[in-house]
Amino acid sequence: MIIESRELKMKHKIPVGKTERFWKGLEEGKVFKTFCKCGKSYYPPRADCVCGNTTEWAEVSGEGVVECFTVVHSIPAGYEWSKPYRIVIASFGDVRIMGWSDEELKVGDKVTLYTAKDGSGVWKVWFRRL
Amino acid sequence: MKVGVIGVGCSKFGTRDVTIQELAFEAVSEALKDADVGQEDIDLSVVGCVGTRGYELMPAVVVNEYCGFTGKGPIRVEAACATGSAAVYSAYSSIKAGIADIAIAIGVEKMTEVDTATSAAIGGRAGNYLWEFHFYGTTFPAYYAMHATAHMAKYGTTERQLALAAVKAHRNAAKNPKAHFQKEITVEDVLNSRMITYPLKLYDCSPISDGASAAILASEKAVKEHGFDPIWIESVGYSSDTSNMTMRENYVGLKATRMAAEMAYKGAKITDPLKSFDIATVHDCFTIAEIMAYEDLGFCKKGEGGKFVENGESDFGGKIPVNTFGGLKAKGHPLGATGVAMVYEAVKQLREEAGSLQVDLKHYRALTHNVGGTGHFAWVFILGR
Repeated sequence: MIIESRELKMKHKIPVGKTERFWKGLEEGKVFKTFCKCGKSYYPPRADCVCGNTTEWAEVSGEGVVECFTVVHSIPAGYEWSKPYRIVIASFGDVRIMGWSDEELKVGDKVTLYTAKDGSGVWKVWFRRL
Repeated sequence: MKVGVIGVGCSKFGTRDVTIQELAFEAVSEALKDADVGQEDIDLSVVGCVGTRGYELMPAVVVNEYCGFTGKGPIRVEAACATGSAAVYSAYSSIKAGIADIAIAIGVEKMTEVDTATSAAIGGRAGNYLWEFHFYGTTFPAYYAMHATAHMAKYGTTERQLALAAVKAHRNAAKNPKAHFQKEITVEDVLNSRMITYPLKLYDCSPISDGASAAILASEKAVKEHGFDPIWIESVGYSSDTSNMTMRENYVGLKATRMAAEMAYKGAKITDPLKSFDIATVHDCFTIAEIMAYEDLGFCKKGEGGKFVENGESDFGGKIPVNTFGGLKAKGHPLGATGVAMVYEAVKQLREEAGSLQVDLKHYRALTHNVGGTGHFAWVFILGR
């Protein structure tokens, strides 16, 4: 015998003030990382270096190389609006960037990044083949 | 102070029409009987449960009460898919520290109370929600699938080799009455199954299972006083890696596994893992995970994991039988239970109580390897008789 629980809906309010430059940057077509004078670079960006200093912002651009990818066919809750989507991780110098791509990218492909809204209106990173 | 495992229990894994506490009690009552102790003999109870898919979001006290341990803890631990190992370690360390003489680790998970899309969205949160799932819908299979594409590109590992790991898992599970899947499958079944996240197909993936397992641990002093017949925990290794997949060194292995193994091998003075264990349980939530585990645990060189399974080296009669009870892949992977169920399998094998799945013992030593997330956590236990 099975009964149903009371319904519980959760949608969180996420404070992103310390990385606001990144979130605003996406809407301007820019992808930012952070770096510290101690030598560390961060992507995803963070305002606090583990050494204790405050980091500085720098734009990620140029040529990247695909390190791995997948195409998600079993769609999770929250992405019901999407057809199967390709997730790619590409290296750009001292950082690796995750993004989506509409192209059939393979490991080792050279790519460039851009930003655009997805089908749910969220700005994000995308890759295209160079 | 040495610590031994004096009793183990494991529920049937699968879609189970019982509550989380009833499920936990199946494993706990078996473990108590196995050790020939009562609840009153237990000093501390540890409940390992990820607890994000069941209707009880904070299940430790519910489980603890039903199992008869009210007042003896509980400590609730969570380490994603490695939660069970973290529970065993909590019990182990409390005894090592002299706080408890006898402690129980209960690993339990109800995974089937929500639909698959919800489960996938929760699993995708086992990394870093804000920077990965939020933007890109990185499900748990997707993380491992990305490792598969990297491994295939660098080492030529094939989808067929991945499938062979699944075939082996199902073959063993078919002889394990507690396993979720009781049916053998072929390579073609795997290759023809529907795509979950390229290149992983349905049969490359562990199922969504309910399950519980329990292990009762005792100090050397308690073993002598009560005359228990333990399997000793000879060494433990643990490590972790970044929550963000973009911060990893590479995608062809799990650094946390290598670090955990190094620590455990050092503790047990093991120099050649392939000549030290009669059996290993490795974390095969997906077929690629088992192949990377062979390499990261030092059973073969990096990149040769596909050949290792292809040559039958991880099968009965091979260099090291791996996942003799069916693995996560076919026995099932109820997150909190998995790490404890690995100890259950190691103990059953080392006591020669594994029936038709019994391996031949030569070293009287077993290894368990449990990963949380995609190498976000890793645990290695070495047990010996």
